[in-house]
Amino acid sequence: MVLEVTANAGDGKEIFRTSKFYMSQATDARSSQMVLGPDKKLGFIRDTSIQPFAPKEETFEIALPQGIADAVLEINLSYQPRPGNIYPIHKVVKTVSLGQP
Amino acid sequence: MADENLVRPVLKHRAPGVGFYLSVLVLILLAGSAAHGDEPSEAPTLSALITMFDSSRCRECHEKIYDQWEKSHHARPLMGLADHVFLASYLKRGPIAVKPGEKATRKNFPCLKCHLPQFKYATDVVAAEMAEAIVKDDKATLRKLNISCLVCHNEKAVVHGRPEPNVLYGSKDLPDHPGQAIKKSPLLKDSLMCGQCHGLGPNLEFETPVQCATLYGSYLHAYIPSGGTETCQECHMKEGHYMPPDFNQREQLSERLRTSLPMEVHTLAYSFQPKEGDITPMVVVKTKISSKAGHRIPDG
Repeated sequence: MVLEVTANAGDGKEIFRTSKFYMSQATDARSSQMVLGPDKKLGFIRDTSIQPFAPKEETFEIALPQGIADAVLEINLSYQPRPGNIYPIHKVVKTVSLGQP
Repeated sequence: MADENLVRPVLKHRAPGVGFYLSVLVLILLAGSAAHGDEPSEAPTLSALITMFDSSRCRECHEKIYDQWEKSHHARPLMGLADHVFLASYLKRGPIAVKPGEKATRKNFPCLKCHLPQFKYATDVVAAEMAEAIVKDDKATLRKLNISCLVCHNEKAVVHGRPEPNVLYGSKDLPDHPGQAIKKSPLLKDSLMCGQCHGLGPNLEFETPVQCATLYGSYLHAYIPSGGTETCQECHMKEGHYMPPDFNQREQLSERLRTSLPMEVHTLAYSFQPKEGDITPMVVVKTKISSKAGHRIPDG
């Protein structure tokens, strides 16, 4: 599961982009490097997956460049089991404005 | 009569044909000491293994259920998205790859503990045949290797002791069921039924240990302690034996995830001033993703 947050200025220029990965993470129990694939994974060293009865809450603080008062935010949640294989889940687009100071 | 104990129930009433004669051959080959409840003998060939667990006869009376199952991932457990034979890459490189110049053996197939539970009856000859079919992308053969009716309604239907031969297990006793008697197995409605394959964690019993699905572990140790009460079947068998999610139905899977993982987004735009005169235009985005699932997501 990947949560992607982007902010673009009114002219379309990207101001901010970040991602959060929600997944169990394993090594092969031979080193500290995370591995992928059932033939290599053994145990977990970290688990950021989405758990039952445990909402995932995130806060993103986006400092806008001076002089920019408006931004278009796009928040996407998708399932990406393999690179390029994307199952969209949620897409939220919001335009925000600081208005006149 | 010991022969009957060695073959899966469906074979008993197969119409004469190639399958019938194959069955007879399997019976002869498997003839041995299996008594009531004993482990059946090994399948000496891939064809014999396919025949042992062939459930196609079930369709004659249970067409709707069979059709549901046929669309499910259980009907093609050796194939992933769009019938991609995913095991091919594992056999070519990585910890369970077949060594150059050697034939595959059972040791190359820890994945089949769950992707093909009946593989426990396979010999190394079968393993080599299977590897050949996988590497050749022989989908016609691989489609016959599936988690069939007999896997769940016999082989995996009881966990206390061995399933009885020539018995199918269901939600109630049906001694007059055509072909084979049905015995009630409460396990079929228990999450443990699914948990036999949908995983607790590392499978350390293999020479090369593997770890695939860990979903049942999550169900046991996250969902249940948090007060969850639903079973796997209550959520995943609403459409009978189709058992979504279906990763080939992209829109359907997206919608299922949308329903299972509601997301809230709140935004705030303001001018941040931590020090007098130090003003930064700021946007704060808060997200909250809840889960209605009975296990971690993602998992399998």
